[in-house]
Amino acid sequence: MGRYIVRRLVQAVPLLLAISVAAFAIIKAQPGGPLAAYEGNPDFTEADRVRLEHAFGLDQPLPLQYLSWLGNFLRFDWGYSFASHQPVLTLIGERLPNTLYLMGTVFVVVLLIAIPIGVLTAVRQYSWFDHVVTGTIFTFLSTPTFWLGLLLIIVFGLQLRLLPLGGMQTLGAQFDLGDRLKHLILPVATIALVQMGGHVRFLRASMLETIGQDYMRTARAKGLAERVVILRHALKNAAIPLVTIIALDMPELFVGALVTEQIFGWPGMGRLFWDAATRSDYPVLQGILAVSSTLIVIANLFADVMYGWLDPRIRFN
Amino acid sequence: MPRVLTLLLAGLFVATACGQTPTTSTATGSPAASASAAITRGGTAIVAVWQEPSTLAAHYQNQTVSGVVTDGVIEGLASTLTDGTYVPVLAQSVPDVANGGVVVKGTKMDVTWKLKPGIKWSDGEPFDSSDVKYTWEIWMKDPKTNNRTGFDQIESIDTPDTLTAVVHYKAIYAPYPLNFTNLMPRHLLEKEADISKTDYVRRPLGTGPFKVTDFKAGDSITLEKNTNYRGAPEKPYLDKIIFKSVPSSQVALAQLQAGEVHAMWNLTEAQTPDVEKTQGLTLQVTPAPTVERIELNTALNKEYPDPNSVHPVLGDIAIRKALLYATPKQQIIDKLLFGKGKPGSSPVSQGWAKYTGTQEGYDPAKANSTLDAAGWVKGSDGIRTKSGVRASLTYATTTGDQLRERVQQVLVDEWKAVGIEVKIQNQPSSVLLSGSCTGKDPRKLGTFDLLMFASSPNIDPHTTIAPRYSSKNIPTQADCSGQNYTRFKNPDADKAIDEAGTTLDLEKRKAAYQTVMKLLNDAYVIIWMYDRARIDARVNALQGWTPNTWGNFTWSVQDWWMKK
Repeated sequence: MGRYIVRRLVQAVPLLLAISVAAFAIIKAQPGGPLAAYEGNPDFTEADRVRLEHAFGLDQPLPLQYLSWLGNFLRFDWGYSFASHQPVLTLIGERLPNTLYLMGTVFVVVLLIAIPIGVLTAVRQYSWFDHVVTGTIFTFLSTPTFWLGLLLIIVFGLQLRLLPLGGMQTLGAQFDLGDRLKHLILPVATIALVQMGGHVRFLRASMLETIGQDYMRTARAKGLAERVVILRHALKNAAIPLVTIIALDMPELFVGALVTEQIFGWPGMGRLFWDAATRSDYPVLQGILAVSSTLIVIANLFADVMYGWLDPRIRFN
Repeated sequence: MPRVLTLLLAGLFVATACGQTPTTSTATGSPAASASAAITRGGTAIVAVWQEPSTLAAHYQNQTVSGVVTDGVIEGLASTLTDGTYVPVLAQSVPDVANGGVVVKGTKMDVTWKLKPGIKWSDGEPFDSSDVKYTWEIWMKDPKTNNRTGFDQIESIDTPDTLTAVVHYKAIYAPYPLNFTNLMPRHLLEKEADISKTDYVRRPLGTGPFKVTDFKAGDSITLEKNTNYRGAPEKPYLDKIIFKSVPSSQVALAQLQAGEVHAMWNLTEAQTPDVEKTQGLTLQVTPAPTVERIELNTALNKEYPDPNSVHPVLGDIAIRKALLYATPKQQIIDKLLFGKGKPGSSPVSQGWAKYTGTQEGYDPAKANSTLDAAGWVKGSDGIRTKSGVRASLTYATTTGDQLRERVQQVLVDEWKAVGIEVKIQNQPSSVLLSGSCTGKDPRKLGTFDLLMFASSPNIDPHTTIAPRYSSKNIPTQADCSGQNYTRFKNPDADKAIDEAGTTLDLEKRKAAYQTVMKLLNDAYVIIWMYDRARIDARVNALQGWTPNTWGNFTWSVQDWWMKK
């Protein structure tokens, strides 16, 4: 097991390097560039452009730009945003708590709802409950987030005036837990409704498979209560694929929800990334991409390890 | 994706707006509160801005929205009233030749600024002439400064006493009154090696009515009353102004309608009917110097053409005239801009140098007769040809701009009706308007036929007129810095531009610019589409607004107050 983890980690190094090169190339291939924002100002001259390109290191050959970024990145000097001149680490640091707060809530809400529903739809397969839930879930699963978000804003914010249209709290007011929660409802609902479907479907399929196993009959034959049979024997085994999905969800806690944060004006990582992308703010983009790709690789490894730990039949060789 | 999102947002909000019962309120551009109304003090105004200011430092700013926020914080020596006259802010008066403040010495000049006594920075430290000098020094020294316009014309600054700054220019620099519009605090910044790494970029220190007390990235920027303001304790009336960062102008409008914010910055023309029919909201339409235009390439459509080469189609003035005559500016303004604009006639639509002439109006019959007379004959498909050359052109503007795309649709049809075929070939603004030769801006390279964009001149139009309409400023491979995109060449215009650039005599300069703009229109190289307005909106309770063509709507926030 230890050797397996080490091997996987070693394998991840060239992978992450390749991802960072690809990300760098894609970012650089975008038309415009970070100085495009200065254009349109009649006072901005060619001399200003040359000076700023030099100040930002954009006059260096591309491979050199990449290598110097990589060198600094590994030393935890992630550079400065071209747009705000703030250190990339600071920018990430001030957005990360907001994203963790949003995505963490989503994560908990999704699990709290998806697990019981997944189990129930499997246990009562083809019941009216199963049909209604499955139908609803497919509807949300196939709804684009931006559309759902807008719909919720229009209905609950604009028409019913029940919930705020965006932001994290009412501006200019004292901290108020109720107010915070109110601002959380719509963005969380938007992401959770779309995300939940996958979890429910996975758990349902996996439960159905488990319920049909011989040891389930044995458990019942032993005279165990149905509750114990389902929760201890079926769910425990059926949850293994869910663990993978949950583990793969983990990087999202960092990356945030690009579209939802944009729609709701949530000051999180998704909006930071969006703004940086529209401004060709290379250092910020590179920093976020590097961290998120690392997290995805780690999450994959974590999922694989958990898998083996939960199911001893799986061997790492 | 962002485009789909915007369209959808727009569509959905229009749909909801239609569902509301229209009210009888006719809230339109009524300016400030009546003087008789009793002013209430205190309170907070929340202003939605749908772009996030990335930095507030005066010398790094490159977004209009940064200025919207810092207008209440950072002040200068002088500023501009809406009619284009200069007024002193931290100076006692605006120096000029008549009052002896400006002395011309051959090809150089000295400008003497006398500062108001007793001014303090918001931290309580005194403001004096050393801050003026420091502002120039840091603007020139800091490698990340946005641009150094004006400051690069200064040779040195003397500070004979704390209230006097003598600025020695190395040339005749006519826009000197607005050179120092953003002063920076020497006492705070002098010791810093790199200002970009200090707190100043988010909490700039100024002398204005407010100070920045909180900057929550992606969320909000809070300004609080500056108790050291020279107008205190009388002004500012408000205790706080919070700028709320929202993702798009549609969201800003929705929040304004829902009462979550008190004002919003920068609406599109298409959003104005929604505001007009919402009770309790006031629309503020301010004439802006921005002019939307279509520039016509008179040289060959290829990379860095010989400026003397002739475009096979647009090289003929008859085609250029016909395109103008077949452009229904007023109809476009009425239908697509909801009446919020005026037909354009020149690059300078506002201020003391504004063009007094006109550009001919819509007359498709005249377009046809002009083309007939010039020997362009309609073929079986309705498109004209002359000596084997087909009247076929490409038409570029910025991708994803709904208003511009609609204008294009109208014009393609109109021009086709007079026998000119026009194909749309749009590009993202990051390329089309990059202003960069390496960035492949087609205007710089000369690779376009018709190109539609907007530009806003400063109150002093020299920086617009000289680089754009002098034949010395046609971009070439060797020197790509010019902005004469139509490749307009006229020796009389060149002469007038040179004259205007070397005198401080306002009447002479005015006459010279009129000459240039007249010659430009006589050459039919640019169709001035419309003079755009700047549109902001607020709740009726937020009083004390005054419009200013040359400033942001926040230019006089010290006068704002909130009706209880």
